Amino acid sequence: MVSDIAGTKSRASCNEFPILADNSRGIESHMSPLLLTLIFLSLALAGAAGFFYVGQARLRARITELEEEGRKKEASQAQVMHTTKLASLGQMIAGVAHEINTPLGFVKSNAEVIGDLLTEYEQAVAKCMTGVDFLLNADAATFERAKTAVARVRMELANAKGLVEARELLTDSVDGLKQMSALVVNLKGFARVDRDGMDLVDLNDCLQSALTIASHQLRDRVTVTRELGKLPKVRCMPSQINQVFLNLITNAAQAMGEEGRMVVRSRVLTDTVEVSIEDNGAGIPDNVLPKIFDPFFTTKNVGEGTGLGLSIVHKIVQGHGGTIRVKSEVGKGTTFVVELPIQHKDAKK
Amino acid sequence: MEPTAARPLRILCIDDESRILRALKALLREHEVHICSDPRQAPQMAKDFDIDVIVCDQRMPQMQGIDTLREIKNAHPRALRILLTGYADLKAVLGSVNEGEVFRYVNKPWENAEIKALVTEAGRIAREAPLISSEPISEREAEEARGTVGVLVLEEDAVTQNRLREILAPHYQVRFANTIDRALMLLEQHETGVLISETETHKQGDLTQLLKALKLHHPYISTVVITERANAQLAMELINEGQVYRMLLKPVRMGSARLSVDSAITRYWKLKRNPRAVKRFALGNAPSFVEHSVPVSEQLMARIRALPTRIVELMKFNG
Repeated sequence: MVSDIAGTKSRASCNEFPILADNSRGIESHMSPLLLTLIFLSLALAGAAGFFYVGQARLRARITELEEEGRKKEASQAQVMHTTKLASLGQMIAGVAHEINTPLGFVKSNAEVIGDLLTEYEQAVAKCMTGVDFLLNADAATFERAKTAVARVRMELANAKGLVEARELLTDSVDGLKQMSALVVNLKGFARVDRDGMDLVDLNDCLQSALTIASHQLRDRVTVTRELGKLPKVRCMPSQINQVFLNLITNAAQAMGEEGRMVVRSRVLTDTVEVSIEDNGAGIPDNVLPKIFDPFFTTKNVGEGTGLGLSIVHKIVQGHGGTIRVKSEVGKGTTFVVELPIQHKDAKK
Repeated sequence: MEPTAARPLRILCIDDESRILRALKALLREHEVHICSDPRQAPQMAKDFDIDVIVCDQRMPQMQGIDTLREIKNAHPRALRILLTGYADLKAVLGSVNEGEVFRYVNKPWENAEIKALVTEAGRIAREAPLISSEPISEREAEEARGTVGVLVLEEDAVTQNRLREILAPHYQVRFANTIDRALMLLEQHETGVLISETETHKQGDLTQLLKALKLHHPYISTVVITERANAQLAMELINEGQVYRMLLKPVRMGSARLSVDSAITRYWKLKRNPRAVKRFALGNAPSFVEHSVPVSEQLMARIRALPTRIVELMKFNG
């Protein structure tokens, strides 16, 4: 805007000069006060033009600077979002790796052992067959001996526990594979690799996914109670909302130290869905509480936290037209409450 | 009664996940395998069945693996303890070495051949190598031990050196080395029962290979690692390939340092009386650790090998 005005002015001032020249030729000898005024005015205009020109250059430089700053800021914000996304991805991978480890452990072991058991059984069967062949080819002289031999190998085969054991291991393995595929389905649901963007979502599903992903941080020490109400579907970006829940759950887990209780609730209000995550951990001191959503604010040691988790949570919730509240008491615990609009209208599209 | 070696090894597997237990039982079927899904019952079971080798999961809801192993160690010290873990958790690793005195760590998902070899090796050691007594030694003996058995500190950081000098010098024969060369010189000259060492220094670089090499040839020297860069993976490696006795985090605390050095010296003293027991603390022959160790230069290795063995019977036993 500013640069346009300046540009027009300077062009206009340049146009003054030819007119001035024409006039001066006509009335050379009469340097009338009018002419003097005109000259003075044109000089003043030229000066102004020059002034504007210089000013404009300065402005241009400043604008470029501002634009550059803006771009840098945007880039660094995008970088930050990306880094946080990567951090939550890392967390997710660690969680899934841990969850998958146990079933993978026994399925892998079982597959090998079943192979060995089958080999053993094949050997027992082969021995039995040899005995049967011996019996089939026996003559009167060897028949009794063959019969005894066959009876013995038959008994051995009957007593071989390999097949029963293999069957048992196989049942376990199928079980373990089912567990692993359920995890992968959950993972896909969490990351929404197949469909990024807005979707109609049951927030309880998001909570369950986030709890599964965080389970390696919870298991053994945090008792989780779920009080999940029946919810209408909410129009949101599930990958982002999952990130919000995972972040709040992880924070709660970290606030609880050795052991603790976490309550995850959801319910429907007039035109919003409310999700709350309550822990009985350390709590947040009053002087810290107002700063928790500030970017780069962290109470963790250097290198342990970015101080971005909650600021991004805040940003995501705001972006969804929702609100996030926190209630905390030192020594008693903290509750985060996220409220998201249901947006029935949008939902019908 | 059959000869000891012919009897199958008695293994106790502990995990809250019954499918893991069934898998281990099937995998180790050449041995006599007992399974236990409630770690609180494990110490009693270990005693009742006179178990040789424990294979225990780390994460269980009723009781953590390290606590289980510590209790088993007290109830039935003869068994060698293997910790199964899915997830490198530094606290757990430090606890398992300092309190549970684990024999080895195995990562989930495990390699069948590896765990089978490990269990067999552990069982052999549990049967062959006698225990050193858990009775405390008399005050007179302890004094003699402190006067005779040297403590060597390999550390270039002056602050830590001073700290350790403050803590240890009034009670033990402490010697300090800034370099590997100096450390070996001191080992050549003085009977040493405890080596306190960093895992890495600026000038000397990585020290873990040295610790492993030393353990390979002189297993009766207890290694107490002090480290700044706590890292579960490294800790596990030091247990599995270096049979580290204790691991302490910097800054070193007076209580834990004294406790560690005291118990290490006592162990050395008892080993002197009962050298065959050293097998329990040696690297053993299972393939996984002998192969990995030790990319230390030939020259250094030769020097380590040539260090005087002051526990005479040990030579006979190993030879």
